[in-house]
Formats: sequence, C-alpha cells, structure tokens
Amino acid sequence: MNTSVRLSLSSLRAHRRRFAGTFLAVFLGVSFLAGTLVMGDTLRSGFDSMFGKATGGTDAVVRSADTITTPGESQGVRQPVHTSLVKTLERVPGVAAAAPDIQGAGQLVGRNGKPIGGQGPPTVAGNWITDPTLNPYQLAEGRAPAKTGEVVVNRGTAKKGGLRIGDTTTLRTPDPVRVTIVGLATFGGEDGMAQVTFTGMTQADAEKYLTAPPGEAASIQVRAASGVSQAELVHRLTPVLPKGVEAITGQESAQENTDMISSQFLTIFTTFLLVFSGVALLVATFSIHNTFAIVVTQRARENALLRALGASRRQVTASALAEASAVALTASAAGLAGGIGIAAGLQALFPAIGFPFPDADLVVKPLSMVLPPLVGVVVCLASALAPAVRAGRTAPLAALRETAVDSSGASRTRAIAGTGLAALAIAATLTGVLVSPSVWLAGLGAVLALVAFVVLGPVASTTVVRLLGGPLDRLRGVTGALARRNALRSPKRTAATASALMIGVAVVSLFTVFGASLKATMDQTVSRSFAGDLAVSTPSFGAGGSGLSPRLAGAIQRLPEVDTAVGLGRGVAEVDGKGRSLTVTDPAALARTFDLGTVQGSLGDLGADGLALTRNEADKQGLTTGDKARLTFTDGRTETFTVRAVYGRSELAGDYVITRQAWAPHRTQDSDTLVAVSLKPGVSADTGKAAIEKVAARYGNPQVQTRGEYAQSSAGGIDMMLTLVYALLALAVLIALLGIANTLTLAIHERTRELGLLRAVGQTRSQVRAMVRWESVLVAAFGTAGGLALGAFLGWVLVKASDGASDTAFAFSLPPARLAVVALVGITAGALAGLRPARRAARLDVLRAIATE
Amino acid sequence: MTATTAAATGSSTPGPAARTAARVTDAVKVYGAGDTTVRALDGVTVGFAAGRFTAIMGPSGSGKSTLMHCAAGLDTLTSGTAHIGDTELSALDDRRLTLLRRDRIGFVFQQFNLVPTLTVAENITLPLDLAGARGDAEWIDALVDVVGLRDRLRHRPAELSGGQQQRVAVARAFAGRPDVVFADEPTGNLDSRSGQEVLGLLGRAVRQMDRTVVMVTHDPVAAAHADEVLFLADGRLVDRMESPTADKVLDRMKAFEVRT
Repeated sequence: MNTSVRLSLSSLRAHRRRFAGTFLAVFLGVSFLAGTLVMGDTLRSGFDSMFGKATGGTDAVVRSADTITTPGESQGVRQPVHTSLVKTLERVPGVAAAAPDIQGAGQLVGRNGKPIGGQGPPTVAGNWITDPTLNPYQLAEGRAPAKTGEVVVNRGTAKKGGLRIGDTTTLRTPDPVRVTIVGLATFGGEDGMAQVTFTGMTQADAEKYLTAPPGEAASIQVRAASGVSQAELVHRLTPVLPKGVEAITGQESAQENTDMISSQFLTIFTTFLLVFSGVALLVATFSIHNTFAIVVTQRARENALLRALGASRRQVTASALAEASAVALTASAAGLAGGIGIAAGLQALFPAIGFPFPDADLVVKPLSMVLPPLVGVVVCLASALAPAVRAGRTAPLAALRETAVDSSGASRTRAIAGTGLAALAIAATLTGVLVSPSVWLAGLGAVLALVAFVVLGPVASTTVVRLLGGPLDRLRGVTGALARRNALRSPKRTAATASALMIGVAVVSLFTVFGASLKATMDQTVSRSFAGDLAVSTPSFGAGGSGLSPRLAGAIQRLPEVDTAVGLGRGVAEVDGKGRSLTVTDPAALARTFDLGTVQGSLGDLGADGLALTRNEADKQGLTTGDKARLTFTDGRTETFTVRAVYGRSELAGDYVITRQAWAPHRTQDSDTLVAVSLKPGVSADTGKAAIEKVAARYGNPQVQTRGEYAQSSAGGIDMMLTLVYALLALAVLIALLGIANTLTLAIHERTRELGLLRAVGQTRSQVRAMVRWESVLVAAFGTAGGLALGAFLGWVLVKASDGASDTAFAFSLPPARLAVVALVGITAGALAGLRPARRAARLDVLRAIATE
Repeated sequence: MTATTAAATGSSTPGPAARTAARVTDAVKVYGAGDTTVRALDGVTVGFAAGRFTAIMGPSGSGKSTLMHCAAGLDTLTSGTAHIGDTELSALDDRRLTLLRRDRIGFVFQQFNLVPTLTVAENITLPLDLAGARGDAEWIDALVDVVGLRDRLRHRPAELSGGQQQRVAVARAFAGRPDVVFADEPTGNLDSRSGQEVLGLLGRAVRQMDRTVVMVTHDPVAAAHADEVLFLADGRLVDRMESPTADKVLDRMKAFEVRT
C-alpha cells in the first residue's frame, strides 16, 4: 500500500471521533439529495403506471386543438368539443366505442358538513362513462349512476369525507346539488388519482350542472376495434374531425397526464427539495472545511516530523486528501443507502397520512446512484483541499515548535477584499432593485452579499463577539470572560464555524421576511382595494374548490341589511391574440365595493360589448377608452369589444372586467370566486354576517368573513408554506450545529492543558461546562446575528425585486416577533450544540490534562 | 461533616510544636493492573510543616511527583490518607476537592502555568475570581511588587519571557494566601538566572511572609533553597536533610545512584 494512504488510514483510525462531525454532515446532505431523487423518480414511475392502467382502454382522444393560456398558468383552458361528434366518430370504421368526457369543478361535502379537498389538487366532477374500458375510473363497489342525482365517487374521496354507499350529500358545482352515492370507484387500481377528488354523475346531470349549454364535452374518448392500432385509429379519425378539433392516441394522452402531474406537482416538489439539499450541502461545506483546517493545524507537529524525515510536500498533501477521501467515500456511500431508506420510509409513511403514494417499486435510477455520492465526495474533497495543501507546506522546523493553533486574525487583504465585495453587492442590488429593475442584477447582488459576509466573517467576528459577549463578563464573572475570550481566540475559526449557521439562519430569515412581506402585501391589498364590509368565499387555493354559486350574490343582495353584493367570476379569453383572465361581474356594483383608483370613462355602462381594463394593461396594449379590442372566447368565437373604462387598481378586481351579459353567450361552468358585500349604513358587521351566513348555508355553506378575516385567510397559505420551509431548513441548521459541536470538541482537545490548569487552580466541573457552553452560545449568536442581518437584506432584495417584476405593489415587512424567535432558536441551538463538548471538557482528568504533551 | 472528620484526625497529629500544613500517612499509590502494576508510592508517611520550605528530591520514577499530586488533591491514593490542614482529602468529592484546591492550595507547574487568554493581572487573581471572591487587594498589590511585574499587568502571557511567566505563576499561587503552595519543577524550563529569581521568590515568601511551600525538583541547586530536603526512591521516603546546600544534596544523590 502507498505510504500516504497508509499514513492517512492509520491517522483516521486514531482520530475517528474528530471526523464524526464531518461524516455526519456529508451523510445527511447526501441522504437528503439521494432521498429526493429516488422519491421523485418513484413517484413519477408510480403515476406513469397508474395512468397507463387507468387509461389503457382509451385508444384515442378527440379534443379541441386550441387552448387559451393566461400568463402565469402552466396549462391552458381547452375549448370544448360538441357531444354530437360522438355519433360521427362511432360511424368511422375501426371505432368500437366512443364516449364524451364532460368535466367540471365539483366539490363534495363530507359527512361533517365540510367540503372535501380543495387545498391544491383539483376537485373534479364529470359524467360516468358507461363503457368500462373507456372510463379511467373502475367501479369497485356498488353500481353506476342510473338516474339523476346518483353519483359514483372515487374511494379516496369517500374515505376522506366519511361517506358510504347510500349516503346523500351535497355536490357544489358550485350550485349545491343533492346527490346520492351509489358506487365507489378506483383509478388505475388506486383509491384515486393522487389527491384529485372525482364525482361521476349521469351524462344528463353532468351536462346540466357542469357545462353552460348542454352538448359540450372536454373531450371524446374512443376505443378501437380489435386489430386497429392507436396510430391507425387516429389516422382514420382525423379526416372526419371538424376544423380546430384533433385526435391523439391514448398513449399520448396518458403521457400528457403524467407530464401534467410532473410539471405541476412533482417537478416543483423535487426542485423545492433539491434547493434545500443544496442549502444543507453548502452549510456542510463550511463545517467540513473547518474540521479539516483545525485537524491539519493540530497535526502540524506530526506533519513537520514527516517532512523532517523526508516526506515530500506532495506526500503530506496526498495523505491529508486521502484521509478526506476515505471520510467522503464512506459517508457518501452511507448517505446513498440512507437516502434510499428515506424514500422507502416516506413511501410507507405517505399513505398513512392520507396521501396516496402510487403503489410502485422504488425506482433507483443510475443518476440517483451516481449524483448524490459524487456531490458528497466533491463537496468533501473541495472543502479539504485548502487545508491539505497547507499541510503539505508545513515547514520541517515546525516539529520543534509548540503545538500551533491558528490564531491569526483577519488580514488586511481580507478586510479590503471583503469590503470591496460588500460595496459591489450593495451597488448591484440597489441598481437592480431601485434604479433599473433587473432580477438578474438583484440576484447577482444577493450572491455577492453572501460571499461578502463569508469573507468578512473573520474581520467582523472579533468586534461582534466582543460586543455580544460583553454582558457575559458582568453576568458570569471569570467563567464568562474565559468563554468570550476563547471564542475570540481564533477569529478565522470562529467565523468559519459561525458561517455555517449564518447561512442556515439567513435562509430561514429570508423566508420569514418574505413571508411576512407577502402577508403585509395581501393585507395592504385588501385594506386598500376592498371597500366592502364582508367577503364570501370558499376556503381553497390551487386548482381545487368549485367556487361560489353565481346565484349567491343575487340572494345576498335581496337581504334588507345589504347595500350591495357583487359576485366576481373568472373567465378566460384571448385579447388581441394574448390569453388573459377576465373578471366577470356587475361593473357598477364592483366600483361600489372595491376601490379601483382613478377611473377614466364609466364602469356603469359596459353593456354586452364593453370592456374595462387597468391603466397598466391599457398602457401595455396601447388601448384607451373608445378603442376596439378583439376577444376570442373558449368556444372559439371572436367578438369585438369597446374599451369603455380604464381603472387604476387591479389588485382584487383583476386586469380585465366584462359584464355577465357579455360573458353569458360564451360561459363555461359558472361560478364566482368571491362575493363582496357592503352593508347598509347602521348595520353592524356582526348582524350582517349572521344574516348572510343564513343565506350562504343554502348555497353550499361558503365562508363569510369580515374584511380583516378575509385579509388574514388570504395569507393562510403562506404560513403553511413557511412551516414546510422551516422543517426543511432544520436539516441545514442541524448540520451547522454539528459543525459548532465538532469545532468545540477539537478546540477542547487543543486546550487540554489549559483546562487541566484551570481545574487544578480551582475551576469546578460546572464552571468548565458553563465556560464551554457559553463559548458555543457566543459562536452561535455571532452566526445568528450575521444570518439575521443577511437574511433581512436578502428578504428586502427579494421583495423589491418581486415588486419590480410584477404589477402588484409589494409591501416590505420585518416581523420582529418571528425574527426574535429565530434569534432565540439559533442561540438555544448553540447552547445545545455546546452540551456534549462541555461534558467532555468537564470530564477531563486533571492530572492527565496537565501531563498531556 | 468535613469539619468533624478533620477534628477527629486533627487530634492525632504528631508533633504539637510544628503545625503541619499538609501530610500523607501510609500513602500507597498503585498504577495499572496485573503484570504491569507499578507501585509509585509504597507506604510514605510525611508531614509538611507550616511556614517551611520543603523540597522533595529523587531520581525520575522515584514517585516524587505522585507524592505531590496526591498530597495536593490532584490525584487520589490507593490506600493511606492525605490531609490539607485538618481536612482529609479522600472524604471529598470532586467538587469539594476543587474548592479546596481553589481556596487552600496554590500551584506552580513546570510549564503551561498561565491561561493564555487572560492578562497577567487576571491570571494572578484567577483562583479568587473563580471563587467569586474579592481577595485582599493590599496583599495582591504587595505580591505584584515582590514578583516585580507591575508594568506587565495588562500583558498577555505570550508577551512575557519564560521567567516572567513563572513569576506570574508564583504570584498567582500565593494570591489567595493558601495553606500550602505546591511547586512541581518550577525552574525546570528556565535558564539558571530566571530559575534563581523564581526560587528566591519562593524562599522569600516562606521566610518573610510566613507561607508554606512544597517543591518537587531534581535539581540540587534548586533544592538548596529549601529549609529541608526529603529524598524519595522507589516510592519510599529514604532520607531527610536539614539546611541543605547544593553540594551536600548532590553528594547524597550520587550515593543513591551508586546504591541503586
């Protein structure tokens, strides 16, 4: 065996404990990465096979070729096809069966009176396709709906809502429909298509409740006669299709469905997790670098002896690197196994928490096998490179000197370079945010700021630790003073240790600040734009929920307490060729319950061919009052509208407003997303709310909220998101804390003699423990303070950049209570990280400590 | 509880004329187990009189350091007893032993005597600060003058020479007016001039300030500064010498080497 390798292996064996922290950091990072990749692939393959099974009987799908895609939506709204086409298709030779697929939004109400689902995934209602091979859902129990009011529900939804065959409940389409469950269905063998809820009704019911005019279907599913391939079927169908309608094979359709789930859910999900494993690995880099740097310094004598005995620089460096490689390889291999274990565990755990993970074997692709360990090894070796080179440079004479501890402070070069970087970062961000809005420039500034913080760490650590530790001297006497000075001993080391935590805390603070700002923005939006007293809405976000019955606004309007009730519906259309979402409402009433800013023209007389739009859009499209615009609706028809009003604020009202009258000929499934209510003078919000709730109960029981409640619930999703982000960042913070613990353990090893002396002259064990703990707290406090500052700055940049990139005016908000909690958690975590090293230090045998060479 | 034990054993103290600051009785210290057993102390009984400067000499491996460590409460005896004043050490747990070292014993080690992060002044008052005690300001002030470090009080140990560092250690050892100061080869790492200075300080502390010093050394010149020299060999007390001189001690040591 090579001498360098043998040396490093024996040194590893001798100092196993020193590398425990490094091992753990790499292990955790690699596990997270591998787990994410394996889980993503497994989910993708699970969905793939599920769709394959569910739609295996469909050989071709006939649908409209056109979609209208509005900005910010990944998927466009497809125009419907006419059900009469079914008859035409059935006559084509090679077609065994054809069935329309009518789909709309339909949210079931569970046994407890609460709607089922609606928190992200779609809530779908459709016709129950009677041909079992064409229906992606299979009847598992009961029977198919035979008469009006009967429905089949997918089994997952029934379970979640506590519904059984024979139960009668409400389906919000959004008009409440009384339905009786006669059957339960499965999708591709699973209880449902992920979290999507499905209610299947008779075709007549579906046409009545889910489409505006009868005879419209989302698509037509076609089954081929035996001996006709899917491609052949599509080939035969195409000539009979009217203009604007296309046929695709069943396989293509299944692939589209999988891709849709992938792009809407899986990709976001895995990207999100990958970002956080990236943060964790970045933090790990600092911990690992620090450990190797300290170990190399501690071993200066040993390395010097080797050099004196004739080892070359290269041999010493190679030996240090071989040591790092050994740690990297074992930790990465263990991490890969750990990651696969995590994925397997989650696969088992998800169904238990009500998330149907499609049943599939774990998919471990070569990429998941290769990438995470590779990243682990690269991170580890890159972090160890500089210390290894330094080890090689050890002068042979160092063998004769006392054990060296790197106590060098910050060099001038560092201070100058760091200040330069910081100035550059600030200049780039300020320019990108304030002067000429550019997300790229702002992003560059943010990255530079991070680098500047890391570079300036050792420069700042002396001052900041002295400042933070100031009260310690007074509070804890000589123990506190010793703790503070120990933290000041090696500014570089303190800074490197704290940097890991700083990055973790910075990301936490960034999200905290951004979340608070989003909330403040919503709050500001509601309080500025919403001039009404009460808001009626369904608690849902994402694609779920069925909205409000369009008749609700009228019913509320008739209440004696109510001055104005205006419903806001959503529609889509292409305006001069560009997909846009429209607000369908009564514009005159809208102006009474919303503050639309300055209005040019009159919202009162849009009529059936009038359009109102925001100043912003008007400027972009070059339209002013009196101009004509061509609107193409989802039914394919194009009409010319006249711009009759231009208003200032779009926040809640949307960018384009048309009347219900104008929308009616083109309407799809009708629903309102919000009913805004202003009360008559003298009616209190409570009285009004009670009266409206009574009416709302008849329309599927949506939520009636005061202005304040509405603003708060609009921001509800943000808190959920933040909780998730915190949970994911816990890993990065954990790695940072392992780094602090590890550095302290190594420092204690270095200070063995000193600790022995302190114990000899009368420092009690608890004083020793307190001293080490406080040092840990100080280092953590330094990292936390840096992280808070950096995070708040990056949060500000993100808010300002978002502000510049969108029409919405973003509010910047620093949440003091939440940031205080972050600070407290960081410092407490520091105290926890110090526990083990403190125990070790206190356990040192006095005599042996004094006698240590 | 400690007080009663101390009172009971205190009555059996031999020799009422000279009060003993520290003593060990039938001290046995065994290291290791089985074949590798080493008897570092093999039944040593000795008292260190208060107000005296005692040196412990012996060849390396004779057990002189072990004797000092056990007498000072840094190490525990396998059998036998060790007292500081009237307090029996084996009855104390780690905390009480630590407090006893802090309040009643001073230490001067061969090297690494000072905490590098503390200033000279802070190092001198370290035991007092650890106890949270104010200390006797006049006494400490006088000590600073005696060791001649007034202009160095705000310096860090790294800025001092080896001799200066040992003088700081001496000042620290006496700062709390302990019952006894144990010095373990205090001049071992110093050049002869600095060594003389440190030994002179220890001598003056005993003779002019009525302190008690027990010093372990292998240097006959250092031992000559003491009032009495105890000779240890193979874990036993083999001889004592009053009013030693360097030559007499050297001769005695040579005699050992011939015999053993």
